[in-house]
Amino acid sequence: MTGSAPLLSLRGIGKSYGPVVAVREVDLDIHRGEVVAICGDNGAGKSSLIKVISGAEEPTSGEMSLKGERVRFASPHDALEKGVATIYQDLALAPRLSIAQNVFMGSELTRSVVLPFLRVLDKKRMASEAQRFLSQLSVAITDMARPVERLSGGQRQAVAISRALRWNAEIIIMDEPTAALGVKETALVLDLVRRLKADGRTIILISHNMRDVVALADRVVIMGAGRKFVDRPVEGLTPDDLTHMIMSGNARAA
Amino acid sequence: MRELIGRYGTALAGFLLVAFFVAFAPNFATPLNIVNVLKDTSFLAILALGFTLAFTVAELDLSVAEVASLSAVVCGWLVQIQYPPAVAVAAALGVATVFGAANGFGVTRLRIPSLIMTLGTAAIAKGCAFMITQGVAFVGRWPTGFTGLARGNTLGLPNLVLWMAGVTLFAYVLVKWTRTGAHMVATGEADEAARLAGIATGRMKRIGLLLAGVCAGIMAVLLAANLSSAAPNMAGDYLLYAIAAVLLGMTMFEPGKPNVWGTVYAAFVLKVLGNGLVLLGAPYYVQDIVLGVIIIGSVAFSASAMKKAAFKV
Repeated sequence: MTGSAPLLSLRGIGKSYGPVVAVREVDLDIHRGEVVAICGDNGAGKSSLIKVISGAEEPTSGEMSLKGERVRFASPHDALEKGVATIYQDLALAPRLSIAQNVFMGSELTRSVVLPFLRVLDKKRMASEAQRFLSQLSVAITDMARPVERLSGGQRQAVAISRALRWNAEIIIMDEPTAALGVKETALVLDLVRRLKADGRTIILISHNMRDVVALADRVVIMGAGRKFVDRPVEGLTPDDLTHMIMSGNARAA
Repeated sequence: MRELIGRYGTALAGFLLVAFFVAFAPNFATPLNIVNVLKDTSFLAILALGFTLAFTVAELDLSVAEVASLSAVVCGWLVQIQYPPAVAVAAALGVATVFGAANGFGVTRLRIPSLIMTLGTAAIAKGCAFMITQGVAFVGRWPTGFTGLARGNTLGLPNLVLWMAGVTLFAYVLVKWTRTGAHMVATGEADEAARLAGIATGRMKRIGLLLAGVCAGIMAVLLAANLSSAAPNMAGDYLLYAIAAVLLGMTMFEPGKPNVWGTVYAAFVLKVLGNGLVLLGAPYYVQDIVLGVIIIGSVAFSASAMKKAAFKV
């Protein structure tokens, strides 16, 4: 990890909303294949930081570079096209549409009929590709026409992740992926994250669940009052250590 | 089984209704009457398909009927003062398209809820129609080149039915087989999700409302051509029927979603119902009461069907 150039690099990132400063001067390097957890209490600035990385909002100061080149994300979709996908909690799926429709939403595959410029949806290929993404994630669903509302919470996450895979995203941002999930579903999602990591994807994980962080992350970043005050390997830390650091605003483990 | 009832229950009920009239309504099952019902269906179906496309992007277009009246009046006026039919038709479609575009602009750029925006444009269209006609109707011996659009036959089939088939096919292919259609559906189903997926949701809404206007224009031209006349209130009554067709259509084939086949089939069932009731000697006001019941019943049915679907994990 060390020595190689970071995949994503933030320098002096700040974000203010009028007089309210949400993020102050954050430097952050994220390396290929890492799972980085971003933690912090509500209002610590982690959501604002994530919005900047995901393209939902532009920073007020500082700069970002991706693979060594300076980037600006005009929108989440712009970020997606550049390889940074965000898995939103609930917002990103259309419950009544099918799995295939959700995976390929906004980037449908087409084929030509009769004439080269007459293009229609290639439903067969979208279904088989969606199936392939899900099996990559070891999720056994065979009916790609099933509406997403009939899936379990963990399976829905898999559908949302499949959309990121469809874009071949290198960096996947997961916002509270296990919130509101039961034990079994949480295990499924943790497994999904491990598979993504094994697949060489880079993951930024926002979580309130310190056990998830310890189980999944290579590195943890803790935010407080808009600043990054912890950035270290997770190895050797317990969930209680993390909670203590967040609560005390102190970088030393208990 | 429950799934099948949810999907085809009301379609089957419609079929049974037709069977009922075939058995009991005098002169219902004559070829002439059936063809007339089909022709009559075409106006409603075309208008309701426009409404369906607007509803696909989750917007209401309550202006379709008044826009159709205005558009018919513009068409009739130009034919009456002896403009070539092609010019009259183009002007009528143009007016309807402008209203569709205005609705889209108001809803997406000015962020006016479509319910309000289209109520407003409906009133404007209605006023303009009365302004053009000064309250009277245009009636005349219009050239057959114009009236033939609706009254003629092509390859033995009534032109009206062919127009309906054409608009139906267009709407179906658009919604089910094109990227634009997929984006419209995604926009209607989950606006925010579609936007995050990079879909230009505002543009999709404008397309849906624009097409609702275009359909109103097509319907208006056919209506004027068929009757050889144009009056400022000629399509006003179609609004409730169009809404009923769309909502009843949403109870079948794809429960809870506006869908092309459902709309067309429901338009046919509604026209069969009206025709059959007349043939059975029911007073005219019964139709309105039945229409109201169908509107409310359809939504209740869709709501309960959707709830069941959500619970069935």
